[in-house]
Amino acid sequence: MTHLTYELAALLYLAAGTLGALARTRPRAAGGMVGLLALGAGLHAVGFIGLHRQTPPVSLESFPAALSLIAWLIVVAYLLCLRMFPIRSVGVWVGAAAGLVTLAADAALRWLSPAAAGPHSGGTWSHAHVLLSAGGFSLLALASLAGLAYLAKERQLKHKRWPRLGLPSLEGLDRFEHLSLSLGFPLLTLGVISGFVWGADRGVSPWTGHSLWLLGAWAVYLLPVGLRVVRRQHGHLPARGVVLGFALLAFSYVGIRLLGAVA
Amino acid sequence: MNVVLVGLSHHTAPVAIRERYVVAESALSGLNEKLVRGSDIDEAALISTCNRTEVLAVSRSPERALEHLLDFLRYELGDGSASVAHVYELRDADAVAHLLRVAASLDSMVLGEAQILGQVKAAYRAGVQGRSVGPILNRLFQSAFRAAKRVRSETGLGASPVSLASIGVQLACELFESLAGKKVLLLGSGAMAESALRGLQEAGAESVAVLSRTPESALRLARRFAGRSAGLDALDEELSAAAVVLCSLQVERPLLGRAQLEGPMRRRQGRPLLIVDLGVPRNVEPSVNTLKDVYLYDLDDLERVAERGRAQRGAALEAALAILASERDRFEAWRAQLPLVPTIRKLVQYANELARSEARRAASGATGSEASPEVLERMAERIVAKLLHQPLRRLRAETELAGGLYYADAARRLFGLELEDDEE
Repeated sequence: MTHLTYELAALLYLAAGTLGALARTRPRAAGGMVGLLALGAGLHAVGFIGLHRQTPPVSLESFPAALSLIAWLIVVAYLLCLRMFPIRSVGVWVGAAAGLVTLAADAALRWLSPAAAGPHSGGTWSHAHVLLSAGGFSLLALASLAGLAYLAKERQLKHKRWPRLGLPSLEGLDRFEHLSLSLGFPLLTLGVISGFVWGADRGVSPWTGHSLWLLGAWAVYLLPVGLRVVRRQHGHLPARGVVLGFALLAFSYVGIRLLGAVA
Repeated sequence: MNVVLVGLSHHTAPVAIRERYVVAESALSGLNEKLVRGSDIDEAALISTCNRTEVLAVSRSPERALEHLLDFLRYELGDGSASVAHVYELRDADAVAHLLRVAASLDSMVLGEAQILGQVKAAYRAGVQGRSVGPILNRLFQSAFRAAKRVRSETGLGASPVSLASIGVQLACELFESLAGKKVLLLGSGAMAESALRGLQEAGAESVAVLSRTPESALRLARRFAGRSAGLDALDEELSAAAVVLCSLQVERPLLGRAQLEGPMRRRQGRPLLIVDLGVPRNVEPSVNTLKDVYLYDLDDLERVAERGRAQRGAALEAALAILASERDRFEAWRAQLPLVPTIRKLVQYANELARSEARRAASGATGSEASPEVLERMAERIVAKLLHQPLRRLRAETELAGGLYYADAARRLFGLELEDDEE
């Protein structure tokens, strides 16, 4: 039942992304996109409850559940930001990203052994690490989507092909990226700290591949954060920084695990 | 007599070429005079705007005239950089239709804009001043003005043109969430720049700074837009603060280059800057667009934006084209009759002279102040006899030849005798 709910949610996200693409020529489709994303997020939440209630319950600390939580948070954060920013056209990418991540999480859940998915004993620090990191990750994902959209829009305008993608204004994207980064980076920082504390509690070495890459990504994020906060810089430089930072962040979460699985 | 036209415009030549062919309004009259002096050209008029340079002429030998006009356009008006592909040549009905399209703003970058009609009128005035506009071009220009007036009053094109103002606002909205509180910097003056500035202000832009070489004109313009004025020495400072820059200065070489913008752009800390270059020759070096966070649009780029608006105005455009077709047909019908004009003029003159001479003769034979009915009757008979004498003699002579029937038929048609026969 949980898997079906996840798959339905993922399909709804993907359908929302498709409607978002249609909205460039048919503005009414944008409303449908938002509706499908909201419906998908609702179903996704039901899926979380199902995971928690199944026997044995799947812990949020497991990688697939955390991945699924990130996808859900991306959609929820996007829907909340829609009220403040004219970013409907970014919904195409949000739908596609959330749909694919949810499908990947669902597939991983199917193959995961109950022992790996079962309840962990990390207590408060583990929960704090997962929730803070997932929150930070989802907001930084949105920041990187805004950064990518900014760079794409910049390219369009430079090459005088501006009407084609129907993206929001550069200023709007810049502001959205700034807010997502301002909220996401502190959450990620707290997530990293809580992760180290959790590891120390369990007597695990803090210098794993995941933690090193995570620290690297965090250090890269210092560049756009520094540009934004210290130099009050706007435009393409912070946009490049958030895209690069997120690429490293995604690798530290997903790439390292995939490489480990292959090895 | 043939009407011919040679020119280049935003449809055929990029702004980098067009800017080398701009003719100042003050020079038009002298150039027109030069065109008609000692050549195969009987009448001529030069049209030069920021988007087109065209030479319109009337000649008895169109081939030679086109050749001459082409040389004149390429080497007298410009530096020869325009290739054959940049230049168009039109003859007779096509040339006529083209002028009507231009005057009615159907060939303009900004469809339905009103400025072009004023520019065509200025070209006509310069032609009249230079004595290069004769009866045919005079009539053609009048037809063009009438067509333009009808298009504006009878179709929706003039009512809501795809204006530079709307294009400027569209572009600004791609960069900024809102224009509220944004600063607009205007370099120079000019109708196009003012129209764009007005549009930006209506869309919410609050602060306007006008920079010009002459402080008086900057001040005058700044007052009109409730802004402030300064000399060009304040450019660096103003560029750091502006969100949109409209350039419309008369310059020989670009005023703004990468070097001037690098400093202000550093101070802008990544905030985007939209530069709309409305000048021909261009005010801004094209390489400025390679600077990060600078978005430069010149007239060619605006043309591409305007093209989208044009596609959305199909119905009004069709109505406007129908008006132009009817005006063109009217002019062509008039032009087709031109070879008859000398004949008609002589015939009328002959008949008038005859009537006057008979009237004098009747007056000399009359007693008292008024001629008797008999005298008037004899006078009328004599006029008719004299008027018909030559045609009837010719008709009789031709009847003996093969063409006699043709003449008889022509006489019946000319005097409407056919109609009377039918009625009988």
